[in-house]
Amino acid sequence: MYDYLAKTLRSVLGGCAAVALGTVLSATLFTDPAAAQSGQRTIVGGRYVPTIWVDPDGCEHWVMDDGWEGYMTPHTNRQGIPVCRRGNVCGVMNSDQLFATDSAHISAAGRQHLANFFQSTGAVSYIITGHTDSRASDQYNLDLSMRRANAVASVAAQTGARIADVRGYGERLPKASNATAAGMQKNRRVEIICIR
Amino acid sequence: MKALKYTLLLGAVVAVSACGNKVDKTVDRGIDSKHLSQLQAGIWVDPNGCDHWIIDDGAEGYLSQRLDQYGKPVCSGVAPPNTATGGFKSGTFITDPI
Repeated sequence: MYDYLAKTLRSVLGGCAAVALGTVLSATLFTDPAAAQSGQRTIVGGRYVPTIWVDPDGCEHWVMDDGWEGYMTPHTNRQGIPVCRRGNVCGVMNSDQLFATDSAHISAAGRQHLANFFQSTGAVSYIITGHTDSRASDQYNLDLSMRRANAVASVAAQTGARIADVRGYGERLPKASNATAAGMQKNRRVEIICIR
Repeated sequence: MKALKYTLLLGAVVAVSACGNKVDKTVDRGIDSKHLSQLQAGIWVDPNGCDHWIIDDGAEGYLSQRLDQYGKPVCSGVAPPNTATGGFKSGTFITDPI
C-alpha cells in the first residue's frame, strides 16, 4: 500500500517536473523596445508580475508567490525613496518657536512643549530630522539643522523617549518655496517621525 | 493509518501547490488561499538592530526591509537584535511543522 502511494506520489511529482521543465523551455520571449531599434535583444525569462503589500507604516512592498516560494522587497522609486500611502511624521516643530536665529538653544517654554509632546505621544521610538530654509550656505545649514535636531533629541531623551536616529538635512529637503517669507518659515522646522 | 492520511495530505498539497507554472503570482494558492495584500507582518530585528517586516504565511516566508520616508533603515529598538516579534504567524491557520 505504501509502495503504491509512494509510486503515485513519485509519478505526480515527475509529471510536475516535466511540466515545470516544459515551462522553462517555452518561457516567454521578451523584446526590449529600447533595443529594438539597434537590433533585436531576446530575453529568456518567466513572467513575474508582483502585487503590492502595504506594511503597517503605510509603505508599499512588491510581493510575489510562485507556488512554494514567496518573495518580497520594498517598493522604492529610482532614488531609493519608499512609496508610502501616508507619512509617519507625527510632529513638525516650527524652528522659530524653539530657537533664536542661527541658534540651537531651546527656550524653557520650548523645552516644556517638547517634553509634553514626547510624554503624550508614547511611540516605540523617534527619528528626528532638522531642516532649514535656503539662506546661508548649504554646509552651514547642514550643520545648523543637525545641531537643532540634536537639541530636540536631547529633550526627548530626558523624558525617557527612545531615539532611533537624529539627522540634519539642511536646506536640501524643502517643504515649501524659499522664494517667499511664508515658505521659508515652513522650511525652518524639526520633523519628528514616530515609530509605532 | 495516521501516517497514510498524512501521506495522502502531503500528496494533495504537492498536487495543488507545486505543480506546473503558477501564472498569477499575486495570490497565495492552496488550502488557505488569499490575495497577498492580506498578509500579517511582525518585526524581525537584524544583527545591526534594524527592523524588517517578517511574515510567515504557512509554506511561504517573506522578509522585507522597514524603511522610513527618507529611504533609511528603521532601527527602532523595539526588540534586541536577532529577535522576531509580533503576530507574523497569525495570517494563516496552517501551522508550521518547525
